[in-house]
Amino acid sequence: MMESAPFNLRRVIIWLGRLVLGGILIYAGFAKMIRWDMHPRPPLGIARSLFALQIDSYQMLPPWASIQVATWLPWAEIALGLLLLIGWRLRIWSTLVTLIVGGFFLAVLRAYFLHLDINCGCFAKPEPLTIWTVLRDGALFLLALFMTIFVFRESRRPHPWSAPDKSGA
Amino acid sequence: MPKSVSEEFVIRRSNLALIAALVIILAGSLTLVAASATQKTAAAKSAAVKPAQESAPQVSLAVISVDGVNDIDPTKAFGSKNAPVVMEVFSDFQCPACKQLFTQTTVRVTDNYVNSNKVFIVHRDFPLPMHAYSRVAASYSRAAAHIGRCEVVEQALFQNQEKWEVTGDVKGTVAAVLSPADMKKVQALVDSRVLEPLIEKDKQIGQMVPVNQTPTSIIHTKDGQSYPVVGFVSFDVLKTLLDQLTK
Repeated sequence: MMESAPFNLRRVIIWLGRLVLGGILIYAGFAKMIRWDMHPRPPLGIARSLFALQIDSYQMLPPWASIQVATWLPWAEIALGLLLLIGWRLRIWSTLVTLIVGGFFLAVLRAYFLHLDINCGCFAKPEPLTIWTVLRDGALFLLALFMTIFVFRESRRPHPWSAPDKSGA
Repeated sequence: MPKSVSEEFVIRRSNLALIAALVIILAGSLTLVAASATQKTAAAKSAAVKPAQESAPQVSLAVISVDGVNDIDPTKAFGSKNAPVVMEVFSDFQCPACKQLFTQTTVRVTDNYVNSNKVFIVHRDFPLPMHAYSRVAASYSRAAAHIGRCEVVEQALFQNQEKWEVTGDVKGTVAAVLSPADMKKVQALVDSRVLEPLIEKDKQIGQMVPVNQTPTSIIHTKDGQSYPVVGFVSFDVLKTLLDQLTK
């Protein structure tokens, strides 16, 4: 009889997703609020307005929605990043991360196809939206998607280290 | 619960099949993206500008500095020099997003902030080589600015962008909004090429920023901070930033 190895491909992808996406989300959230790229660093209100302008340049949302997203998204990114790293209720948070990262990917893909000459806004700094931005966001979306699928699959079967011994020994 | 060898094999095979299917879907979408990228490169045409035929009209090429923003052509700048914010707008007359910014945002910024001395706005020319007639349009706009008709000509060029970018009739577009006497002065300035160094200077300043795409606006404050705003942005969102900087 064959036991599951504690570190099979699925678990490696789950861990990779949690570490990579968790780290990136926390970094991206702080970057939008703190603006490390600017000297001197602007106050939080101005950083929020600058991020709202970047969201608005995608021309997907009405102005009021761009301002609301700019207000809440950095905090949501930090919270989701931390929750991924902690690993609590992973099915819920990994699904939410996949939806958000998928949304970013679609927004970037749309802007690229529409030839919008804008900055990505992904990490707040001035970064022109190019094919590499599309590829990077696509890769992150795939990672989030696989992580979520595998999290759901793993939750259906007990971890080999914690499985009760059925042999009667 | 331990699985049999065949169950484990089936699970692994289904995992691999799922991964392969998703990778194929992503690869397909990325191939589409790459194909569109190759179509994006447009052939650039250089506009033939008539060489100087007559002696250059007398114009001032003097530039000014406001709050550390240098080389401002005063005929293309509006508002109070004591305004708390200086907003430089780098644009190309043939770029659709520049038209959108001018007609939907810049006009309202002028009405709400420039006219109330809160913002000093500087119109910078940044004609892109990929646009056949944007340099010619910049020359006519600059010439019109030097006879005090900047706003009306900029408005005409942006509002009729779809027409003259097809026909190349920049001169006709400008002539339609100027009197024959003004048009004669503008044409003389364009033909003399005496204002070309000012357009070149704007381009050099843009390249130093660097301006990677048009429109790009740089918002400068009195304390020396600069905030770049790239692409078209709506007035209502820009207002949230300007309100904080001008209060």
